[in-house]
Amino acid sequence: MTITAKQVPWYYTPTLVIVAGCLVAMVNFGVRSSFGLFTAPISEAHVWPREIFSFGLALQNLLWGIATPLAGALADRYGSARVLMVGALFYAVGTVVMAMAQAPLMFHFGAGILIGIGVAMSSFGIVMAALGRIVPPEKRSWAFGIATASGSLGQFIFAPLGGALISAYGWEKALFILAASTLLILIFALPLMVQNSKSTKATSGEADITMRQAIGGAFGHSSYLMLVSGFFVCGFQLAFITVHLPPYLAEHGISKEFAGLAMGAIGLFNVVGSYTSGIIGGKYNKKIPLSLIYILRSVFIVAFILLPITTTTTFIFTATMGFLWLSTVPLTMGLVTVMFGTRYMATLYGFVFLSHQVGSFFGVWLGGRLYDQFGSYDPVWWMGAALGIFAALVHLPIKELRAPKFVAA
Amino acid sequence: MGWPGHRLAITLFATVIVAWVAVMAVLMRKASLPAEASGPMLVVFEPGTPTDDIFAKLTFAGAKPVRQTAFAFIWVVAGDEAGLAGRLSSQGAIGAYRELPLNPSIAGCFALADAKITAYTGL
Repeated sequence: MTITAKQVPWYYTPTLVIVAGCLVAMVNFGVRSSFGLFTAPISEAHVWPREIFSFGLALQNLLWGIATPLAGALADRYGSARVLMVGALFYAVGTVVMAMAQAPLMFHFGAGILIGIGVAMSSFGIVMAALGRIVPPEKRSWAFGIATASGSLGQFIFAPLGGALISAYGWEKALFILAASTLLILIFALPLMVQNSKSTKATSGEADITMRQAIGGAFGHSSYLMLVSGFFVCGFQLAFITVHLPPYLAEHGISKEFAGLAMGAIGLFNVVGSYTSGIIGGKYNKKIPLSLIYILRSVFIVAFILLPITTTTTFIFTATMGFLWLSTVPLTMGLVTVMFGTRYMATLYGFVFLSHQVGSFFGVWLGGRLYDQFGSYDPVWWMGAALGIFAALVHLPIKELRAPKFVAA
Repeated sequence: MGWPGHRLAITLFATVIVAWVAVMAVLMRKASLPAEASGPMLVVFEPGTPTDDIFAKLTFAGAKPVRQTAFAFIWVVAGDEAGLAGRLSSQGAIGAYRELPLNPSIAGCFALADAKITAYTGL
């Protein structure tokens, strides 16, 4: 199933295949990270309340979560490259519709539904599934790490790029340029075609089962359920920090310039953390570092809210959280692969990711809801820390072995 | 068949960052205000320019310094006379902007279009 020396075309060389996957992840994760910058210009241009834009992006995130297992199933059936390409088209058309929409319904259709589906179909989960099948098992975790780090880098570079595009060309042209950028995925996905024709066969040692049996088998496997519940916490913590940290810092007198820098540090350290966790996952058991990540998140959250909020503590917190940000992804994907093999990995990771998105929803929503009730973010910070401990504990009993139903008879 | 490793990661990320810096440089120039612009604006000087020099340049250009930002080479200034941006440019400013088009926002796995995020994190 992996590339061998006999498979020769230059565009299928290991280096090019991995670079291609990384570039797909960069564009996919990057473009959407700049959408928040369009809130004010689009709302002001159409004289819309901010809620219309917010609802569009909330819908996008929901669709992204729901569509990921479906996109994964398509990738497992027809190959990742084709799904990435179709996803790029959805992404591009959705971004154009977002730019041209004159009515809220059309905006929600473009920014919410089309982009949500497009992001799911061209996401790094699909890329990682392709790389997981292509690279040999000993390089798999590293490949997951570099793909995740690439997504993180995309997020880091596209947000300022989006802001610069808006300033240079106006928001409409900026969206058209971003739409054109998403079409680059069509080209970047080409080398991943090497994986397409082989995607539906079981690899050696894997049971020859149907997708329905694989999904049923996974949900009947306690280690998978633990992984799914742990990833819920990841979503909860990250979404809460993303949305509610800036106002929290403002309440504690941190200047907006410094807050901007501190948030940027999350993006930068995220690249290093994701890559490092891929390396660690390839050398050691995956569940222990995963537990450690959640424990460290809880420790740093508690320290951050107990210590006086200064520029120093803020920077240390954001840099550390950045390092731990998406570092869960290569390890989680790695565990899915260990337990179930590579044949249905995109589908099964998709369900894990859906749990992440549900956690994200609760992190954002409860952050606002409990702040309104208590006049403080502290309850949700504590909840995030407690959930981190829960996630750390729930990962420990995971059996890092092939699930019984997935072992070849 | 040899599989790539850390060298590929470093090369890839370094190449992307270099390309990004180049694109950003072009976009930042494109995004700067026209020479005839006036009013409140952000002025960017060469990083490392001494604060005294910047202050002198602002004064020569007829700009009223409002405040220094977190970056010592970026100042918020004001001035009602037309052509302020052009005068600042002739004093050596790299560019003048209504708002700095650099916005290090993060999205994680959940981007929420909450205006207060971008408003707050925006420089």
